[in-house]
Amino acid sequence: MSTVTLYSVSYDIASLILHILGFIIPPANAALTNGNVVTGLAVLVFGVILLAASMLNTILLIWWERKLLGRIMDRRGAMHVGYAGLLQNFADGFKLFRKTTVQPREADALGFFSGPTAYLVTSFLLFGILPISSGWNSGILPLSLLLALAIFSFAPLFIFVSAWSSNNKYSLMGGMRSAAQMIAYEVPLLLAVVAVVIVAGSFDLTTIVYEQQNYWFWGPLFVALIVFVAGMLAEMERIPFDLPEAEAELVEGWNTEYGGMLFAFFMLADYLRALVGSILVVLLFLGGWTMPSWVPGALTTFPLAGIFWFMAKTYIVFGVFVWVRASLPRVRTDQLLRVGWNRLLPLSLLAVFLAATLVTVKCVWPFGCLPSMGT
Amino acid sequence: MATPDSAEEKPRENPVLWVARPMATAARQFAKSLFRPSTIIYPYERLEDPKFRDRVEVASGKPFGVGRVWDNYRGVHSLNIATCISCNLCAFSCPDICIDMVTVAGGDPKHPKKCPQIDYGKCSYCGFCSDACPEGCLTMTTRYELSTPKRSEMIYSPEKLNAVFHSKLPMNPIRLARPDNEDSILLDPPLCIGCNACARDCPTGCITMLDIPKPEAKPGEKLPRRIWKEPVVNDSDCVRCGTCISVCPKECLFWGTRK
Amino acid sequence: MSEMWINMGPQHPMTHGLWNLRVRLDGELIKDVDPEVGYLHRGIEKISEDRHYNEVITLMDRCCYVAGFAWEHLYTIAAERALHITPPERAEYLRVLSDEFQRIASHLMWYAAFVQDIGLMSPFLYGMRDRDLILDLYQSYTGARMTYEYFRVGGVRSDLPPGFTDQARKVLDWLTPRFNEYDQLCLGSDIFHKRCDNLGVLKANDCVAHGVTGPMIRSAGLKRDLRKDRPYSVYRQLDFDVALADSADVTGRYLVRMEEMRQSVRILRQVVDWLDHHPGPVIAEELPRWLGAPYAPVGKEGYLLKRHYPKGVGFSAVEEPHGEAQAYVVNEGGEHPYRVKFRSPVFANISAARQYMVGYRVADIPPIMGSVDVCVGEVDR
Repeated sequence: MSTVTLYSVSYDIASLILHILGFIIPPANAALTNGNVVTGLAVLVFGVILLAASMLNTILLIWWERKLLGRIMDRRGAMHVGYAGLLQNFADGFKLFRKTTVQPREADALGFFSGPTAYLVTSFLLFGILPISSGWNSGILPLSLLLALAIFSFAPLFIFVSAWSSNNKYSLMGGMRSAAQMIAYEVPLLLAVVAVVIVAGSFDLTTIVYEQQNYWFWGPLFVALIVFVAGMLAEMERIPFDLPEAEAELVEGWNTEYGGMLFAFFMLADYLRALVGSILVVLLFLGGWTMPSWVPGALTTFPLAGIFWFMAKTYIVFGVFVWVRASLPRVRTDQLLRVGWNRLLPLSLLAVFLAATLVTVKCVWPFGCLPSMGT
Repeated sequence: MATPDSAEEKPRENPVLWVARPMATAARQFAKSLFRPSTIIYPYERLEDPKFRDRVEVASGKPFGVGRVWDNYRGVHSLNIATCISCNLCAFSCPDICIDMVTVAGGDPKHPKKCPQIDYGKCSYCGFCSDACPEGCLTMTTRYELSTPKRSEMIYSPEKLNAVFHSKLPMNPIRLARPDNEDSILLDPPLCIGCNACARDCPTGCITMLDIPKPEAKPGEKLPRRIWKEPVVNDSDCVRCGTCISVCPKECLFWGTRK
Repeated sequence: MSEMWINMGPQHPMTHGLWNLRVRLDGELIKDVDPEVGYLHRGIEKISEDRHYNEVITLMDRCCYVAGFAWEHLYTIAAERALHITPPERAEYLRVLSDEFQRIASHLMWYAAFVQDIGLMSPFLYGMRDRDLILDLYQSYTGARMTYEYFRVGGVRSDLPPGFTDQARKVLDWLTPRFNEYDQLCLGSDIFHKRCDNLGVLKANDCVAHGVTGPMIRSAGLKRDLRKDRPYSVYRQLDFDVALADSADVTGRYLVRMEEMRQSVRILRQVVDWLDHHPGPVIAEELPRWLGAPYAPVGKEGYLLKRHYPKGVGFSAVEEPHGEAQAYVVNEGGEHPYRVKFRSPVFANISAARQYMVGYRVADIPPIMGSVDVCVGEVDR
């Protein structure tokens, strides 16, 4: 396991910058190389790295979805800008950036502009919390899982605000659906997480990952995984649960009136949330950045192996979401709510019960035993 | 289904495991199109390119071979000015009225040669003009790319259409057989004044003016003021363009079956 | 939320064309609907009065852009009856070949649009991909992919190119297993049944009362197919079944259309075999001069025609992919039809919208309208 951490990297970059500055301006050398200044700049660099990495991954995720969807649909997806269309999303983003932001005359300006902005900002916030690999996180937060889910569930508010303030009937209906759906699926989602927390004995994502060293949780907690993935699909508003923005009847749902950069905000935030959803699945059920012991050591010990495996798993999980999107129709609002309350809620309770049983018996064939660390 | 004796076997699909079946189908398609999806990368690969056509093997397999642009595709016209007889039939037959007969260089200055000019902004590529062309000089080719930033460039002059003819594109091979029982140009003799207009304007020169005997005027009867000639149409050369009918000042020519 | 009117159209992803469905909503519940058409009116019937009999065929392709051949066939039958012309048998078989391929192509287009309406993404591409093979076939013998202008009054324009029947058989072989694949994607998924079962129910007697025809009436269990009931062209000599379902809902219409595609494949195999062994003329021998290739002026208007060709009227009814289309052509002896009138099946089908839409939810509008298979080009003409 390499000892390079996100902190050490940003600290090194910050001190390098300050030393170069001090070399250029000799009188300020002492002040610039002061430990506090370096730490302050390191925090800034840290944030910039997080922002850049999450942006890059989001855009790569869109590319990944377009390519996968294309192949499933017997076509190619983006392929002209850059190698295999890798730069297509940058081109799309640039186009949206150049467009005029049109505000409907009757729209409420405050909500209309603050809704997408807050939606995007809260989605970015999540990346400060999620650990990417051992040492690659912003800090040891004992309740990081809870905090992540709390920030995740901000979204209905902002969606509803922007839908209401666009002053459009389609947007309003989309916003209503979105709020109803997210609230309905919050409960089974959290109960599925509770199952994981019972087994892992901690709300800290890093601890949860290390609890999976003997076996990943997806096997024994398969019911929780199903509930979590279904809930995540609803939270991310992807097919089959994308009815808030069902383009067939609601044009584009709550973002009907948005164009240009504000639409790009929504798009970006949607995929940020999709990325976070995939990351959460990997962290909670697929062992995070760890690999099982039967994998040859050479594959797990190269530099940044943790990040590599983590991202690989994330993209595969997202690939499953794309597969679902490509092959399933959209459900209806009442059916969605009925599935949420009538099916997923009992299933999640079953998952909690199974998790409690698992903790009690400790060892389950064929998975093995829980590690002794934790509670 | 109430059709028990259906010829094609059709297993009725029922839901299995909620969504397992459609997801399996999508995965199968993914595996099939992983290496070569059915799409054609159009500007780089063209179906009318024989090299590409024979080489490509796509996910949807063999029947894709019919995707070639056959030679009888109805694209941009090609016009052979040298063989055009200016019969106007293409312009008459055009349902969109997008063909104008315009003067081309060369030919008799007194009777300038007119050839079709096509406005592709209006053309619907129905092919009636090339069907109507008696000499086979106006045909359709496989060229289908003619986007242009200017509307005026959509109007193809006869010279431009002639250049298409010389660009060696595959020509539409369909030639309609002319019906055997075509009507002929008939004359209503009492009305004719022998003015020579029909013979002058006939694109094929199949009308000759023959002298007719000037009748003796009976006492008290006034002979009509006319030239004592009458047109005679050579049916085997006639292309049935109707130019003579439209130029006749006295409306004495008409279509009919020659006895 | 109080009740509100929503304009679904004229530009809306649900409409598949250019029309407007006004919906009165109470929350998500549909209280009332009011279809408005006319946005795509081009006056085809009036233009036809100023066109030669054959030139009207160019307009028929624009009548319905997904089922051009059905409308060409409809018009040519009516015009031939008005002009007292009988086409040769090979031309009739070529017309049935075109018609049935058109039925498959139209239903594939419907399938693509319909699954898009319920949110299925990839079958859209599958349907369009397989439809493209049929368009390729069309291109090989008519020269165009969508605006064919292939039928003529008294026959068809030209015979098949060499090797066509083999290619057609390949396409049919390719299509047959595809239908099962489509079924797996739709019927095999529980969500599809949740969405489409008992949706947009229009019982048989309501269908009759509103003049609703085509797959909608067959999905209600009423065996009504003009190819069987009033056989035109050579359908009498072909062996096929009428697709039927009894649920009268969206799933039933899906089943009927899928079965119709299978039956069309069955018809096409017979037609292709017949065409292989029966060469012959493709256009009638005894045609009026002005229906042949040249279209020159006639001189004294009508002088010749009144002498040679008697007046007449022609009526035809054709089982179009969307339903029963009818045409009426009045020949007053000129070189243009005196009057042309069409009956569009889709017009009647969407006129009954209030009957099968009220009471469902706003999310049901796209599947229901999708199952009706709206083609606005022929509604407005």
